[in-house]
Amino acid sequence: MSGPVMDPRIAPPFPEAALPILQNTQLRKNVAHATDVIQAKRNRLVAEKQDWQQLRSSASAIRAHVLANLTTYLEQFETKCTAAGGVVHWAKDAAEARSIILDILREENATEVIKIKTMTSAEIQLNPALEAAGIAAIETDLAELILQLGDDEPSHIVVPALHVNRRQVREIFARRMGLPELPDDPEALTAAARTYLRKKFLSVPTAISGANFLIAETGSVAIVESEGNGRMCLTLPRTLITLAGIEKVLPRFSDLEVLLQVLARSATGERLNPYNSLWSGVVPGDGPERFHVVLLDNGRSEILSRKVERQTLKCIRCAACLNTCPVYRQTGGHAYGSPYAGPIGAILTPQLEHMQHGQSLPYASSLCGACYEVCPVKINIPEVLIDLRARVVDQERAQPRRWTDPMYMGMKVANLAFASASRFRLAQAMGRLGLRLFTDKDGWIRKLPNLGARWTLSRDLPGLPNQTFRQWWTEREAGSIGERLRGKEAPR
Amino acid sequence: MTSSSRELVLDRIRRATSAEANRYEEIARGYIRTGTLDAQRRIGLMTERLREYGAAVSECSRAELPDTVAHQLQLSGRHHFVIPPGLPPEWPGNRADFKVDESLSHEEIEQCGGVVTAASAGISDSGTIVLHHGPGEGRRVISLLPDFHLCILRASQIVETLPEYFALFPQPPRLATYISGPSATADIEMTRIKGVHGPRFLSVIIVRDDA
Repeated sequence: MSGPVMDPRIAPPFPEAALPILQNTQLRKNVAHATDVIQAKRNRLVAEKQDWQQLRSSASAIRAHVLANLTTYLEQFETKCTAAGGVVHWAKDAAEARSIILDILREENATEVIKIKTMTSAEIQLNPALEAAGIAAIETDLAELILQLGDDEPSHIVVPALHVNRRQVREIFARRMGLPELPDDPEALTAAARTYLRKKFLSVPTAISGANFLIAETGSVAIVESEGNGRMCLTLPRTLITLAGIEKVLPRFSDLEVLLQVLARSATGERLNPYNSLWSGVVPGDGPERFHVVLLDNGRSEILSRKVERQTLKCIRCAACLNTCPVYRQTGGHAYGSPYAGPIGAILTPQLEHMQHGQSLPYASSLCGACYEVCPVKINIPEVLIDLRARVVDQERAQPRRWTDPMYMGMKVANLAFASASRFRLAQAMGRLGLRLFTDKDGWIRKLPNLGARWTLSRDLPGLPNQTFRQWWTEREAGSIGERLRGKEAPR
Repeated sequence: MTSSSRELVLDRIRRATSAEANRYEEIARGYIRTGTLDAQRRIGLMTERLREYGAAVSECSRAELPDTVAHQLQLSGRHHFVIPPGLPPEWPGNRADFKVDESLSHEEIEQCGGVVTAASAGISDSGTIVLHHGPGEGRRVISLLPDFHLCILRASQIVETLPEYFALFPQPPRLATYISGPSATADIEMTRIKGVHGPRFLSVIIVRDDA
C-alpha cells in the first residue's frame, strides 16, 4: 500500500485527495475523536485564564514586532549563539538546508541520526535525503515513530498520528518490533516504544531537532514537548543539529512568559507543556559537544514582503486552527498534501511553494473564521485565504487555456452583463427563461447541468420569483405617484 | 556557499521590511504579571497542580527534611540514587546509596534508579519545577535517565505566575528545563499515558522556610 503524498509539488489537488478520505469512516472517526478531546481541553484552560485576550494581543504584537525587525534579531541571535559555541548556517532554500545537514553528518561519519519531531524537516523532505545518503533517520516522538514504522504520513502538526487507533498501532509495533504478544492498550504500546528507543538514545551520537523559539538576546533555542524524547536528543548525543525557520526568533528570554503560556494552552490544552528545554550553544560538560543551527528561508522572505500574507509567519505551530476547522475535522491532514495541514497549511503551503503548487488549498475552507478566533497570535487566516485566492485567479487569468475554461468564460460573460444596465436586464430575462426549464412544479431547482451541477450536487436552489426587484420597485413607484397625484399619501 | 546565502537571505529580508520602525518597548503587555496569593496559598496551589499531574508532594520543615527525604526514597522502592555536586550534604542524608555525579557515564546514571536534586524555582500556576542545572541541580542528563526524580524545593522559591519567574531571573540562564508533571504522551487515541522517556515518577518536597 502506498501512503498519502505529502509533497505539495506532486500531491493531487485538495478536492481530489479529500474524496477517498471522506469514505474512510475509521479515519474520520479517529480524527473527530482526537480533535474533540484536544478542543475540550483547550477550551477549558482558555476559559480559566482571565487574561487570555491580553496574552493573545501581546503574543501577536511580539511576533509582528519580530517580523518587522527580523534582520536585527537574526543577526543578534547569530552573534550570541556563535559566542556560546554554536555554529550558525544560513540556507536560502530546502535543497541548501539538506546539503548543509548532510555535510555535517558526513563529517561526523554518521550512519544513524535520532530526530525530534520537526515540521521544518518534513517541509524540506529531509528524511528521504538522509535515506538516499545511507543515513538511517530514527523518529523518536511516539506518534512519529508509529508513522515511520507504519510507512504512514503525519496528519496533524501537534499529534501527527491522530488518525491511527490503538489496534492499528499494536499491529505496526508487533510487526516492526517483533513483539507478537503485544496487547493493544496504550500503556503497553507506550512502554514498548520506550524500550525500543532507549537503546537508540544511548547509542546514536547525532541528533536533529527543530526549534519552537530562538532567543535573540541569549542565542538560545527553546523546545517544548511532552514525552522526554526531546530532552534525550538534546542531551545525550555528541552532535546536535537544529533546523529552524528564520521567523522563529523572539527578542528576549522573558518573551517566553507570553509565548509559552499561549502555546501550551492552544496546542495541547495544558498550562505548560510537561517539558520545556532551553540551551545556549555548547555548555562544557553538559550535553552535546558540537551544536549547529541551520536558519532556513525557503520562501519565507518572500512571504515577509507581502503586506497581507506576512502575518502567516507569526505562526507558532499550535494547530488550534486544525482542531477547530470544519473542513480539517472532516478530511484530516492527508488531503492537504503537505506536512502543514488545516487552515494554517492552506495558507502556508502554497506560499512556501511560491504559489507554483498547492493552489487548490486556499479554497479548502468555508471562510467561517473559527481559525482566526482560536489563533493565539491572531493570524487573520480568512483574510490571507481570500488574498491567496485572488492570486490564484490572477495566475489562471494569465494562462492561454483560460479560453477553454467554462468557469473563466462564464465570469467573462457575467462581467459583460453586469457592466451595463440594459445588458443586465437582458441577461436576467434570458436567465429566467432558461431556469424555467429546470424548475420543478413546487418552485425548486434540484438539478442543473454543467457547472451548475456543482451547486445542485449537494443543495437545492429556489426557483426565480416571477418578478425582479426592479420590476416590483418600478410598479410600486408608479402606483404611489398615482396616489400622490390623486392627493393621497402613499401607504407606508 | 553559506556565507553568500547569509547575505542573500538577510538582503531579501531587509528589502521586505525596509522603512519599518517598531520599538520593542511599545509592545502592549496587558496580561497578568503578578499573582495575588499569599505564601500559604501559593504552596497549596503548587501542591494541587503537582498532584493533578500524578506527582507526589510532601511538605516539611528544614529540620524534618532528612527524614522526609529518607521516607520518600524508601517509598520509591529504589536503592541507588545519583546526586549532583553542590547539593547540601544534609539534604539527601546518608540513609541510601548515593552516587555523586562527577562525570558519570550515561550507563552509570541509567543504572541508578533515581535522582535527588534541588531546583531554581517553582511556578504554582502551572505546577512547574524550574531547573537551571547549576550546583545542586546538576547536569541535564542526571534528571533525565533515572526513572524516579526527587526534587527539593524551598517554599521561598515558589512564585505564582510564569511572568514572576522571568522577573526573578533578569539574567537569563545558560540552560533551563521547565518540568510540569512527569513525562507523558497522548499520542495513542488521546489517552494520557504517564512516562514515555523522561522519569516516570516525580516526587517533590516543599521545604517551609521557618528554619
